[in-house]
Amino acid sequence: MEDFLTQLTSKYNFWAYIVLMMVGLYAMIAKGNLIKKLIGLSIFQTAIMLFYVAIGSKAGATIPILRDHTLKGVIDFVEYINPLPHVLMLTAIVVSVATLGVALALVLRVYDVHQTLEEDEILEKIKNP
Amino acid sequence: MHDVVLTILPLLFGSFLAILAGWTRSALVYPLGVVALALSTGFCVKLLLGVLSTGTATYLLGGWSPPWGIVFVIDTFSAGMMLLISGSALLTYLAFRAEIIEGFAEKTAAFVALLLLTVAGHMGIVATGDLFNLYVLIEVAALSGYALLGYGSGRAPLASLNYLCVGSVGASLYLLGVGYLYILTGTLNMADLAQIMLAAPVTASLHGAVAVILFGLWVKMALFPFHGWLPGAYAMSSPVAAALLAPLTTKVMVYVVIRLLIGVIPGAAIPEALPDVAMLLGTAAIFAGSLMAYRQIDQRRMIAYILVAEVGYMVGGMFIGNRTAMTGAMLHIFADALMTLTLFLALGSIARQRGEMVLANMRGLFRTMPFTMAAFVLGAMSMIGVPPLFGFFSKWYLLSGALESGQYLFMVGLLVSSLVNVVLFFRIFETAFFDEPGESVRDIEHWSRVTPLAVAAVLLIVAGLSSGLIVDRLIAGIIPASLI
Repeated sequence: MEDFLTQLTSKYNFWAYIVLMMVGLYAMIAKGNLIKKLIGLSIFQTAIMLFYVAIGSKAGATIPILRDHTLKGVIDFVEYINPLPHVLMLTAIVVSVATLGVALALVLRVYDVHQTLEEDEILEKIKNP
Repeated sequence: MHDVVLTILPLLFGSFLAILAGWTRSALVYPLGVVALALSTGFCVKLLLGVLSTGTATYLLGGWSPPWGIVFVIDTFSAGMMLLISGSALLTYLAFRAEIIEGFAEKTAAFVALLLLTVAGHMGIVATGDLFNLYVLIEVAALSGYALLGYGSGRAPLASLNYLCVGSVGASLYLLGVGYLYILTGTLNMADLAQIMLAAPVTASLHGAVAVILFGLWVKMALFPFHGWLPGAYAMSSPVAAALLAPLTTKVMVYVVIRLLIGVIPGAAIPEALPDVAMLLGTAAIFAGSLMAYRQIDQRRMIAYILVAEVGYMVGGMFIGNRTAMTGAMLHIFADALMTLTLFLALGSIARQRGEMVLANMRGLFRTMPFTMAAFVLGAMSMIGVPPLFGFFSKWYLLSGALESGQYLFMVGLLVSSLVNVVLFFRIFETAFFDEPGESVRDIEHWSRVTPLAVAAVLLIVAGLSSGLIVDRLIAGIIPASLI
């Protein structure tokens, strides 16, 4: 138990992303409303973004802009956080916004056709039109 | 300019121009698509010839050298894939001229733009040499694909939304695995990663990363039991979107896994149980896909379930772990794409004349649409695995590979699925050949639809007869010598 607690507190960022990811996955599987499913999908994707942001950061480090632009002396990488994962996540945010946009457009079309957003009602209507 | 970018640029420009033309001169939209796809196909041929004579082509995006910048790496196998993608998209686009122009009314421009974009995305997936860029391109291809599949009427939007949810989870899982690989190695460039992973200690997190990546890609390629989205997405949508995406999406994902297995992830990094699990799922996919195909009434849905079984073929082949089976899996990507294309093009033409694709609507087709049915027969025979069609040769490699490694259950699966395909397709042939077409039927076969279909069907024979050449020139050099 003691070991588990120290593990939990020392790597809390990873536990947080896993919990968020499972919340999102649960919503996608268990919720019957299509909008709630999409919210679940967004939570799922955000969890992975947070994971990437977490791996780029370092305790006590600053943003990666070199203070001395003449580059005298040695650059100590401990002083700067790793910008690459953060940059990657900018792209991933764009992707997830686009995903949400396409998904909401499809939801609109689904509503046009079936007049409801509850999955069980839609399946009922498909079975007995 | 560099050949590699020239294959993708016409599609990107074409998709922008199509939207612009949609606002001002809507008559130009369709020809623009033809020009873009034809240019792209032409440059793919040039690229393939270049790669065959001078070896692997590399293109540095923005001039940044790897491992810092993004590179496009084209070897013989990926050049073949690029030609397959642009060529099959061109044939689909030409065959469905009437549907694209009339079927979507004022939304034709958006449809053409999305179509070009999804083709560009698929080609980018094949070309890229960077793991994160691969994720972005997977999403580019998939997002425009969801929109295309949602265009149909009735249940199409719901099926496409389902696909979107499952597909996004698959892609996100892939991204998660890439994150772990990045923590372990500090690089995203595939060639660089392969070097570092050879020397890296084999840890549980490395195994976990590889497992999550492969799991995500399995979801994207509709491997059983993650195949739920595929039949709905391809059977409910408009025939154009289905004929465009069914030959491409799953096959390109299979390509990605093969690329990772033979070029990036060393054998030690793959968890010990994973090949067995993959073999099990692949075999299960073949049995389940064939069984469910047998139970379908709608013929497009039936072929969609056969696709599920075909994914099982390729996943099984690449995880058997010998050279013959890997060759078979790689050859089957080409074969499966071509025969799916032929079948979907033929069904699209038939559906235009007969409406809903149930068996009762296919009476007397051999008399009224002889050329379309001839092509359909060739595609079906290739699915069954009749020599000298393309499907026979890839299946032969897969069978001999399975025999070498003693994977008897997989062999039984291959044979059973061939037998089921015989039953499925001869049911159609019987109805279409012996039954009378009925009084009111006025089927029309137009040359503009038959020609692309005939090209696809003839390619099945040509590629089948030259499959030895394809293996020698395109595939054999790519498989590492360590794989025996």
